[in-house]
Amino acid sequence: MHRKSAVTLLVAACALGVSASLLAQGNPIKIGVDTPLSGTYAPIAQQVKWGLELAAKEINAAGGVMGRQLQLIYEDGEANPAVATQKAEKLFQVDKVDFLTGTVNSGATLAVGQVAERNHRLMATTVSFADSITGDKCSPNVYRVNAKAGQQSAALAAWLVQAKPKARVFFLGPDYEMGRSTVAAFKSAAEEKGAVTVGEVFAPLGNKDYSPFFGQIRAARPDVLYTSVAGNDTVRLFSQLDEYGLLKGGMQVVGASGTVTSQNMGAIKKAAEGFVTGVGYSPEIDTPENKQFVKAFEAANKALPDLYGADSYGVLYFYKAAVEKAHTTDADKLRAAMADLEWKTPQGTKKMRAGDHQAIQDMYAVKLSGGEFRIISKVPGAAAIGADECKRF
Amino acid sequence: MHGLIDALQFIFAPQIVNGLSIGVAVILMALGLTIIFGLLDVINMAHGEFYALGAYLAVSLLAAGVSFWLCLIIVPVLMLPVGYVVERLLIQRVFDRRDRHVLTLLLTFGLGVVLEDAFRLIFGPNTVRMETPIGGAADVFGMYFPNYRLFVMAIGAVIIAVTWVVIFRTRIGAMVRAAAHDRQMASSLGVPVARVYSATFAFGIGLAGLAGVLLAPIYSVFPTMGKDFILLAFTVVIVGGMGSIKGAVIAGIVLMQVQALASLYISPVWTEPLLFGVMVLVLMWRPQGLFGKLGNG
Amino acid sequence: MADAGAVIAAVRHSEHARHHSLTGFALAFIVLGLLFAAVAAWRGDVFFFRLATEALIFGGLALSVDVLLGYTGMLSLGQALFFGLGAYVSALVLKNVLPSFWLAMAVTLAVATLAGFVAAVISTRARGVYFALITFGLAQVVAKVVFNTPSLGASDGIIGIPVITIDLVAFDVDTASAAAFFLFCLAFVMALYFLCAYLARTPAGRVLAAIRSNEDRVPFLGYPVGLVKVLAFVLAADVAALSGALYPMLRGFVSPELLYFEVSGNAVITVIIGGMGTLIGPLYGSVLIVGLKSVIGSYTTHHLIVIGTLFVFAVIFFPQGLVGYFKPPLERRLAARRAAVRA
Repeated sequence: MHRKSAVTLLVAACALGVSASLLAQGNPIKIGVDTPLSGTYAPIAQQVKWGLELAAKEINAAGGVMGRQLQLIYEDGEANPAVATQKAEKLFQVDKVDFLTGTVNSGATLAVGQVAERNHRLMATTVSFADSITGDKCSPNVYRVNAKAGQQSAALAAWLVQAKPKARVFFLGPDYEMGRSTVAAFKSAAEEKGAVTVGEVFAPLGNKDYSPFFGQIRAARPDVLYTSVAGNDTVRLFSQLDEYGLLKGGMQVVGASGTVTSQNMGAIKKAAEGFVTGVGYSPEIDTPENKQFVKAFEAANKALPDLYGADSYGVLYFYKAAVEKAHTTDADKLRAAMADLEWKTPQGTKKMRAGDHQAIQDMYAVKLSGGEFRIISKVPGAAAIGADECKRF
Repeated sequence: MHGLIDALQFIFAPQIVNGLSIGVAVILMALGLTIIFGLLDVINMAHGEFYALGAYLAVSLLAAGVSFWLCLIIVPVLMLPVGYVVERLLIQRVFDRRDRHVLTLLLTFGLGVVLEDAFRLIFGPNTVRMETPIGGAADVFGMYFPNYRLFVMAIGAVIIAVTWVVIFRTRIGAMVRAAAHDRQMASSLGVPVARVYSATFAFGIGLAGLAGVLLAPIYSVFPTMGKDFILLAFTVVIVGGMGSIKGAVIAGIVLMQVQALASLYISPVWTEPLLFGVMVLVLMWRPQGLFGKLGNG
Repeated sequence: MADAGAVIAAVRHSEHARHHSLTGFALAFIVLGLLFAAVAAWRGDVFFFRLATEALIFGGLALSVDVLLGYTGMLSLGQALFFGLGAYVSALVLKNVLPSFWLAMAVTLAVATLAGFVAAVISTRARGVYFALITFGLAQVVAKVVFNTPSLGASDGIIGIPVITIDLVAFDVDTASAAAFFLFCLAFVMALYFLCAYLARTPAGRVLAAIRSNEDRVPFLGYPVGLVKVLAFVLAADVAALSGALYPMLRGFVSPELLYFEVSGNAVITVIIGGMGTLIGPLYGSVLIVGLKSVIGSYTTHHLIVIGTLFVFAVIFFPQGLVGYFKPPLERRLAARRAAVRA
């Protein structure tokens, strides 16, 4: 009983503390970052953080947005929708942020999107690539500045049809919504362009041993193996493929953009050499903006930016462009300003499609060579974007 | 006919051998678990985390330049005092209470939670991959099989055999079995029961740690790796019989074969629930498992 | 040889003392809840109301764990199964059938009772550790099924559960109003508590306590142990599911994480820290744990180490938990007061 009063007092103290710090800093624009700082997605959240901080620093040094400084407020969403929504609500209600970003997995993005709707504010994701976020589960308050799975598949399929026409493809995906839908998306894109499916198998998420599937793969003798596993699963799959000698003999491994990332690349090392995927960003993109961005990013963080870092950097410029166009941070006016808004990013100019809040951008097929992703082909934005499937607005 | 041979060669045989390889891994985990339960009547919910601890210790030692083969010896030795201390300081405190079973389960569960987060804190959430110490693969009748996995199977068999010998053919083993069978009687015959308990727990933990080192090159190392095998290990222990080494080995082999072959016909996601169903059936109709308690081999 | 009558009187006396002290804790909880509501409402707060409501909802889950653990000695490591089941059923009803609170609750109750019965038949044959493992495995399997079922939203869960209005005869409660919904959940969870506390004092409830003491002897006293255990299990399943059914009303979504072991494990930790066997302890424990997590979470991402260590500490040194610790002094004071009145 004594403890309950202590908790209430503590709670009141926290609220007071927050208001006090608010008054101390003038009138900044607050950006809430609800991102999984702990857990398996922590490395992605790290890139997100780096990207946001670099952009915020640059924007603030140049005078801020409409004269107001940007302030980033972080909360750990733990990649769990239940926690992420709680933290999002804290950011909106207690910290009174004007805009929210940072969600990584699609379940969290969708759930937090609802919180944003209920709080009449906007949010953007820079990582989640599930098509549903700007497709059948779209929301008027949710924006996506990164490329979705459909765009990535389009880039990869376009490259494949050039490099290996009529390839025999074997699919190995993790058995859950995202895994199955990425496999399905690539399968239809590839088959349309003449590839032949020679096998399809789904392993449980978190599967430890992929060797039971290797017999089938061997029997099917594919030219290409497509996989959409991620994180730890990728490390295991690739090292076991290597163990069993399946990576010799010229089989090309391709996969989803989330399969090999800065998070697991260090662990996979040479086994991932030659891996090809479709992405919306590479540090190699040859534009002056990108070169400058990569240099500044590397200087600040001693690491190259990946797609998450680059897109998170871009989201603050997107927000800035919208606020400057609308002359306010009010959600409804911002939404109007964001319709078909174009803004500059290290990847070139992106356009935010009004119909589904999806960014249109050029896509690339990249190949992992010597530990770095090198661009091997490019698909223009309009070709990669796909149809607007959002019916809600 | 050709199709049948092809199937046998490419699908069934590799599947069976794979099942054996995974089976050895699970048995190594189950061995420590069943010994700890057989003697101490303690369900070690943190067993998976000790497995992970072994792997992380190996990672640290490797980073310091120690060779993998030395790690195989050093890590279990390092784990022994850890197990001893945990048993002495934590488990023995709740041992004499009425709710012992529940409390030790809860205690080890809490310990597991703390350990897992500690791994995350110290080593970070990313996966660490360990180089395979024996590279290359053997080509046996057209079946391609990595040398290291063959090694693990061989070593696993040796470990199981040594464990059996220690428990059933040595004096220490006799003391352990006596204390398991009748604590008071053993004590009155001069067996230092408290120390035997701690030592047995330590031994079980050492086995878990050794399994961690052995399997790290195959399955990689990350904070939640303890959860990889734990449910399977428990299933094997229960089906085989809590406290029975023979049971753990037989159940391990059989169940993993069931899983391996079943995954050819049903979606692999459902093979674990299948095994779980087997466990439930065993619990409902023959709760002591196939071979019962430690005293029965 | 002690006088039988005196023994019975003494037992009854201590039972009364226990009942009164626990009711005291329950009333104190309500008072604290109302105080909190008053302060938060005055500050126009939303976040802390919702956080507190979440604490209540998960408190209900912990309550269900205590019904099994504290009363019958059955440790369930998979109670999240019913909690998540209730959440999903409620979400589906509210979103796809009719946004009616009563309908959602009725369907949840029906489904949970059926599922609870099936699960009870499977698991209550086993005891102790085996029972715990079966419940653990059952929850894992169902979580996997839900995770892989596209019509249940698969890994993303179900979003878009509408804000509803709860039609109580005298007035309406709007779930969008953080304060009103908090008060409603407080009433709802306390109702569940009082129901469980009442059932514990019935003859059937006493059989449960007897089972916890020494299960083997109970059949010799003529009681149907198996049946009573099944009933207790179904009750716990219903309490967990009804609490879970409140979740989508609060947050507007459900996801497979609600069925995961983390949730079950957390509930067990809450019960131990709050006070095993007291039924009201878990509610206090839930408030404490949710508050702790939120506070610690602002400083470090490793809150599990803190809570885990606290839990291990509690298991070894304070297995009677928070309420259990404060109960004896309160009981003594109440007994002393009664003696003074009588004298």
